[in-house]
Amino acid sequence: MLVEIIVSLFLLIGAAFALIGSWGLVHLPDFYMRLHGPTKATTLGVGGMIVGSVIFFSTQGEGISLHELLITLFLFITAPVSAHMLAKAALHLQLERVEKTRDVARKNTSGPCGK
Amino acid sequence: MNNSLLLPLILLPLFGALLPPLFHRFGRTASAWAAAVVVAAALLLLLSLLSPVFGGQTLLYHADWLPAYGLNLSLRLDGLSMLFALLILGIGLLVILYARYYLSERDPMGRFYGFLLLFMAAMLGVVLSENLLLMLVFWEMTSLSSFLLIGYWKYRADARQGARLALTITGAGGLSLLAGILLLGQISGSYELSVVLDSADIIQAHPLYPVTLVLILLGAFTKSAQFPFHFWLPHAMAAPTPVSAYLHSATMVKAGVFLLARLFPALAGTELWFYLVASTGMITLLLGAYHALFKHDLKGLLAYSTISHLGLITLLFGLGTPLGAVAGVFHIINHAIFKASLFMAAGIIDHESGTRDMHKLNGLWRYMPHTATLAMVAAASMAGVPLFNGFLSKEMFFAETLHQGWLGDWSWLLPLGATLAGVFAVAYSIRFIHDVFFNGEPIDLPRTPHEPPRYMKVPVEILVALCLLVGVVPAWTVAPLLATAASSTIGGELPRYSLAIWHGINTPLLMSLIAMLGGALMYALRHHLFALHARCFRPFDAKQVFERLLYKLILLARGLTEVLENGSLQRYLGLLIGSVVLVTGVALWDTPLSGPVPSAEVDAVTLVGALALAASALTTTIWHRHRLVALIQLSVVGLVVSVAFVRFAAPDLALTQLSVEMVTIILLMLVLYFLPQHTPAESSSLRKGRDLLLAGGAGASVALLAWGVLTRPYQTIGDYFMQQSLPGGGGHNVVNVILVDFRGFDTLGEVTVLGIAAIGILMLLRGLRLKMPAADGEGRPWASDRYPMILAVISRPLLPLALVVAIYLMLRGHNMPGGGFIAGLVTAIALILQYVASGIAWTRARMNINYIKLTATGVLLSTLTGLGSWLFGYPFLTSGFGHFHLPLVGEFELATAMLFDLGVYLAVIGSTLLVLANLGTLTLINREMAEEN
Repeated sequence: MLVEIIVSLFLLIGAAFALIGSWGLVHLPDFYMRLHGPTKATTLGVGGMIVGSVIFFSTQGEGISLHELLITLFLFITAPVSAHMLAKAALHLQLERVEKTRDVARKNTSGPCGK
Repeated sequence: MNNSLLLPLILLPLFGALLPPLFHRFGRTASAWAAAVVVAAALLLLLSLLSPVFGGQTLLYHADWLPAYGLNLSLRLDGLSMLFALLILGIGLLVILYARYYLSERDPMGRFYGFLLLFMAAMLGVVLSENLLLMLVFWEMTSLSSFLLIGYWKYRADARQGARLALTITGAGGLSLLAGILLLGQISGSYELSVVLDSADIIQAHPLYPVTLVLILLGAFTKSAQFPFHFWLPHAMAAPTPVSAYLHSATMVKAGVFLLARLFPALAGTELWFYLVASTGMITLLLGAYHALFKHDLKGLLAYSTISHLGLITLLFGLGTPLGAVAGVFHIINHAIFKASLFMAAGIIDHESGTRDMHKLNGLWRYMPHTATLAMVAAASMAGVPLFNGFLSKEMFFAETLHQGWLGDWSWLLPLGATLAGVFAVAYSIRFIHDVFFNGEPIDLPRTPHEPPRYMKVPVEILVALCLLVGVVPAWTVAPLLATAASSTIGGELPRYSLAIWHGINTPLLMSLIAMLGGALMYALRHHLFALHARCFRPFDAKQVFERLLYKLILLARGLTEVLENGSLQRYLGLLIGSVVLVTGVALWDTPLSGPVPSAEVDAVTLVGALALAASALTTTIWHRHRLVALIQLSVVGLVVSVAFVRFAAPDLALTQLSVEMVTIILLMLVLYFLPQHTPAESSSLRKGRDLLLAGGAGASVALLAWGVLTRPYQTIGDYFMQQSLPGGGGHNVVNVILVDFRGFDTLGEVTVLGIAAIGILMLLRGLRLKMPAADGEGRPWASDRYPMILAVISRPLLPLALVVAIYLMLRGHNMPGGGFIAGLVTAIALILQYVASGIAWTRARMNINYIKLTATGVLLSTLTGLGSWLFGYPFLTSGFGHFHLPLVGEFELATAMLFDLGVYLAVIGSTLLVLANLGTLTLINREMAEEN
């Protein structure tokens, strides 16, 4: 019972981040801000789900289930890189920016990193 | 009784055909020796079988080939086959010797002998076949190999056209013969000759007998150049003379009359047979004899005389009497001998004087008396002069025309026609000799004629000696061969006949006398006749008519192709989809839509998935002009499909779909690089309406069909696979076991196709120079940072991780979701990432794999695994498996299917990267060019 509550909690956290990420993707004003949305969903959103999965399958009596962590590992490697590439492309294409992101760009010439 | 010597008889020249081209590098003589040794070996083999055949035995050989279809590798050597095999090999040997001196230095001699031996093997196959279908295979082989021989001087237009004409006519005849033989086999219940020849009563009483007979006769008549198919033969004279001497004396054209002789016991003796065969023979006999007289080309004369003599033989078989068949067989022997020598003599004259035109060739006696003497003997034999072999069979022929019982009051027609043909034969034979060797002086010859090399005359001398020996002492020479051949032709008791030269004064002798005197008179009056012929007959060139017809056919085909296949992909798709909708719509119009099975509940998740699928499909269509956006929408379709596979418990399919999706996206991205990012609106609204209708129709049809099938009860074969997967294939993963074991042959085929397609794409890309856009659609230049550092650095540790995943997927594939195909795709994606992140040059320097070889290795490995089961006496692709125990690893299982899967794995990597890496290289070439500029 307690396990189910904990698992549900993590699922909810994951789902909440996925929802927030999607919401941000739609509502944030320019590309650089929107970039944050999907990265939240892939890291924290999926992360929450995975922790839930680890707990659930580890308490089924078949030993500790850790191979979900591989998913996290792969995501942690790939998500920043893809966000980085997206940002690089946006800089190259000189997409429209709102005032706030413009400041960041001026200070940091190599461009903003994803995350 | 299985005589194992029969098969080598055909195989010797068939595989021996490879030797002359190989020996060609050691010189022309070596090449000729190679051919001669092969033929001599086959001839010796044949001679070793002479005594049992002459003792009346029929030697048989049988091996099953496709027994279910009645096609067996069964051979037969009886008297008739023996006669023909002797002619084919004997005259073939002489032709090889002759051709060595006839062909010039420039002619590729190895190829000539190769073709000749190939043709010889085909002819031997025709005459030695016991199975009629097998005979047909060889029959077609003679058509094909004679095409190569006739068109040997391929730089000459007349040779090519003559070869094409011959192939078309004899090939069409072969088709008709196929139909006839199939009918014959159906009627008599077997394709084996022994059975067919014994079923004459059944065959001739059958209602399909007339159809069968006509079809088979069409085959025989086209091959033997019988009227109205005779016109191909004169044009085949464009071949080198040794070919003519071989094809038109002893072999090719004799195949037709051989067929008549072979099937004589089964088909002959009816009224229909008489009218069809005898009348065709008679018309051909007269027509050929008439035209032969008016040809000014030496070989043309011989060609028409060949047609005429073939008509004579056909007429003899057409009489349907045993004695007629005996005379026919006898004339086959005689004609082969004298016509081969005449062609060779004509070839010598052509070779040494540079022309075959009888207007120019005169008085050659002074230049080549030896050749002239030989030619005179052969021509006398052709004319039917006593003491030469042609006389004997011609006397028999005249006698037989007097003894037929079908025509009643019109019986006098046959002897009259025969005598008339005899008159013409004498006239053209005299012309062949008198015009060429006497009759004044040569006019304006390209070369000064002289005697040919010594050995070029040897074959002619041997043949001429045979003419004389058979003509003077027939009883000591040809009699036993004739008796054996004739008795096996008739298939029963031989009738009484006499080979004596003098039978007393009788009607045939009188007919011969009339022919002699009439022929001499006709030749004396030839100038008047030539003038009359030139006035009355407009020259008719069958080849021109044929070429014109062919041209029209090509135009028609091209027009039809234009209508259906004009290069527009939209049109192909439109036609394809439209006809599918139409055909299924018409076929299923009356079928009720729903079956008795109630539909399942729709749950929210499935519904959302389905809606997402529909929405992404729709948006792909709507945004199709923005290529990148459409591509993203398309990938949504792919993802939803993968999720659907997960939902309906097909994890293997989901994994496959996912990895295929990734490869597809990379491929499309590479292609998009070369295309503008937006396409202009090109279709009219009418066209859009049509496309909408087509797409809607196709979608609705598929939906309705799916509905119709899902609401009907049906039995799947899934249960069987579920039960058999573990005991039969040794794996828990049914999908994988199906792929690598139950349907392994399919997988092998698919992997092979994949490899072929990849190599095909490679060939298309090779040398392709695409115009690379210097900037994207909005005119923004490409980024200068070609290989971003973060991507390059991070992708490197990813490679081993991905490889581990791939190997894991591959190894567990037999029992859990995975397998060679998925693992191959995962590996391919990991590798292509290196190309993308670090560049082709960087990757190639570190990983220089030949993907063509990798693909081939994969296909080979899979095939060899399949073949491996033969070693253990199991059918192709039977898999073996067993459980093993290793310390530390524990219990594990090994199956040969894994080896097979490894082959699939390698082939998938190879072909995927072959395509992707080479497409990528294309962008590199362009980029370098752009940077240089």
